[in-house]
Amino acid sequence: MVETVIVFGERPSLLVDASGLVAELLRNGFSTSMIGITVSNGDVNEAARYGFDKLYVIEGAVLPDQVSEVISKIFNEVKPRLLIGSATKTGNDILARVSAKHNLPMLTEVLSVSLDGNNIIFERNILGGRAISREVTSKHAAVTVPIKKFKPFEISQKIAAIEKVSPPVSNVRLVSFEEKKKSEVNIEAADTVVGVGRGFKSKDDLKLAFDLASIIDAQVGCSRPIAADLKWLPEDVWIGISSKKIRPKLYVAIGISGAPQHISAVDAKVIVSINKDKNAPIFKYSDYSVIADLYQFLPVFIKKLKEKTIK
Amino acid sequence: MVDVAVMVKASLDANMIRVDSSGKLLIEEIPLVISEYDRNAVEEAVRIKEKFGGKIAVFSVVTWGPLAKRINDTESVLREALAMGADEAYMVTDERLINANPLQTAIALASAVKKTGNYDLYLTGEASMDVISAQIASRIGTILNLPTVTFARAIELDIENKKVKVLRDLEDSLQWIEASLPAVISVTGEINRARLPMLLQIRRAFAKPLKKFTLNDLNIQLLDVGHRRESVRLLMVSRKNIIIEASTFDEVSEKLISKLIEEGVIKPRI
Ligand SMILES: Cc1cc2nc3c(=O)[nH]c(=O)nc-3n(C[C@H](O)[C@H](O)[C@H](O)COP(=O)(O)OP(=O)(O)OC[C@H]3O[C@@H](n4cnc5c(N)ncnc54)[C@H](O)[C@@H]3O)c2cc1C
Repeated sequence: MVETVIVFGERPSLLVDASGLVAELLRNGFSTSMIGITVSNGDVNEAARYGFDKLYVIEGAVLPDQVSEVISKIFNEVKPRLLIGSATKTGNDILARVSAKHNLPMLTEVLSVSLDGNNIIFERNILGGRAISREVTSKHAAVTVPIKKFKPFEISQKIAAIEKVSPPVSNVRLVSFEEKKKSEVNIEAADTVVGVGRGFKSKDDLKLAFDLASIIDAQVGCSRPIAADLKWLPEDVWIGISSKKIRPKLYVAIGISGAPQHISAVDAKVIVSINKDKNAPIFKYSDYSVIADLYQFLPVFIKKLKEKTIK
Repeated sequence: MVDVAVMVKASLDANMIRVDSSGKLLIEEIPLVISEYDRNAVEEAVRIKEKFGGKIAVFSVVTWGPLAKRINDTESVLREALAMGADEAYMVTDERLINANPLQTAIALASAVKKTGNYDLYLTGEASMDVISAQIASRIGTILNLPTVTFARAIELDIENKKVKVLRDLEDSLQWIEASLPAVISVTGEINRARLPMLLQIRRAFAKPLKKFTLNDLNIQLLDVGHRRESVRLLMVSRKNIIIEASTFDEVSEKLISKLIEEGVIKPRI
C-alpha cells in the first residue's frame, strides 16, 4: 500500500535534508508518495529533483502562523500518514501548530525510524539526552528530524510539478531582523575540543582556555550560558542538545557542571574534566578528572604541557 | 494591570537518574523538579507583575506516575512558583494523563486556563527539560486561537495599545515580532535570571490557593491518536572515572599528561 507523506522545509535545502527520513523509510520497505512544501527563499528548482511527486512553494511567507496555515490546508486535502519537518526552532514551531489543528501527536527530533506491520516506530532522546524513548505511532503523526541525520535521496531526472501558493496574512508583525555573527570554527569536525563553562568568571579569563587549546591544537567550545546568555563566544561553538554535537578524540571540560543537556552531545574517546566542586556531575561522565580551581590548576597544566608535548 | 498564565512542568531530574541492579531505568523513582526554563517563564511573569500589576496563575499537568506521589511532587513545583511571586496555582491530575504526550498535555492546559479566567499573556518555557518536545506554546496558541511567538529572549509590553514586542532568538538570526494581546509566548533560558525565593516567601506560598482539576472537571475526552511510548532505554555512559590526585599541581599535571599520552590523544615531545 502506498501511503502519502508531506515533507516541509523552511528553506529548499532543509526540505531536501528532512526528506532523508522518507529515504530511510523506503530503505525499510515503506512505499510512499512524497509531497514537498517549502518557502521560496532558495533554489526551488533543484529541490524539485529530490524524489518529490509534487512541490508546493509558499511565496513570501516568513512567519510560522502563515506557513502553518498553508501546510494545514494541504494536510487536510492529502491526509498524509506522516508530516515531516526539520527540527529547527521554526520547524518545530510550525509543525506543532499544524499538529494542534489536526490532533496529531508530534515527535520532536527523531533519531531513527522503523516499521512494524502498520506501525511506524521512532526513537528519540529524552532526559536531556541520557535515555532513548521508543515511540509507536499507528495513525497520522508529525515528526521533526535533526539536520543531516538521514541520507537524502539521490538527485534524479524526475522533476516534481511545482505549485506556488500565496500565504494568508500573519496575525503578528515582523518588525526587524538581524543575522547572527558566525565564527570560522567548525566545532563539530574538531579532533580536540576544550569546553568552557560558567566556572570562568570573566570573558578575559577565557584566555586560559585558548592558551591551553593552542598547545594541544584544540578548538574552544562552550556550554549554553557562555554563548547564549553571556555572549562570550559565538553561538556556533555552543555544545549541547540544543546546538552542536561533537565527536572529538579528546574533550577537556573546564568549569562545566556536566548537565545532561550539555554532556550528552559529546561523543569523545576521552573526556577530561576540571572542576572545583568534588560533587560536580561532570565527573561521572569523565575518564580523567582534576578537582581543582581552574585558575590555580590551568597555568601549571599549560606550563607542563608546553614542556612535555608537541602539537 | 496584566494577568499572566504560566505553564510549569514538574520534570524528571536527569541529574538524579535511578536504575535497578540490572540497569533498568526506574522512572517512577526519579525526582520531579521545576523544569529549568519554566522557572524563567515564572520569573518573567513576576517581573511583569512588579512593573504593571496584575495576577499570575500557574498551571501544571501531572504526566509522570505514580499519580499519588507525583501529585505531591507537582504541588512542590507549583509552591515554588507561588513562592517566586505567582498568586494562584492549578494542577490537572488524572490517571489517564500519566504518560500523556504533548498533544494531550496542551489540551489539558488550554482547558484549565479557559476554565479559570481570561489572561493577557500566556507563558511557557521553550521546552521541558525531560521530554524536550518544544511544542506546548505553539499548541496552546493554536487551540486558543491567539497570536503566538516562540523562543523569546526579551518581552516588551505596551499596555496602552494592548501590544507586545518579542525578541525571537533563532539559530542564526534574531527577530523582533509584534503581536496584539492576548498572546502566547515561549521564553528561552536566556530571557532572565530566575530569582531564588526567600524563606518567608516560601512560607507564605503555603497560604496561596492551589486547585486540582480532573479531566471530567474540564470536560475533556481524551482522543486515541495512535501514539504511545513503548519503552525507555538508558544510554549507558561507561567512562573510566579516574580522579587524578597528587600533592602538587605539578604532579597532577604530569600524571594527567602521561595518561593522555597513553590514550594517544596528545603527542609527547621526544
Ligand atoms: C531544554 C534545555 C536545553 C538545554 N540545552 C543546553 C545545551 O545545548 N548546552 C548546554 O551547555 N546547556 C544546555 N542546557 C542548560 C544546562 O541544563 C545547564 O544549565 C548548563 O549546561 C550549565 O552550564 P555550565 O556547566 O557552564 O554552568 P554551571 O552549571 O553553572 O556550572 C559551572 C561549574 O563550574 C564550576 N566552577 C566554578 N568556579 C570554578 C573554578 N574557579 N574552577 C573550577 N570549576 C569552577 C562549578 O563547580 C560548576 O560545576 C539546556 C537546558 C534545558 C532545560
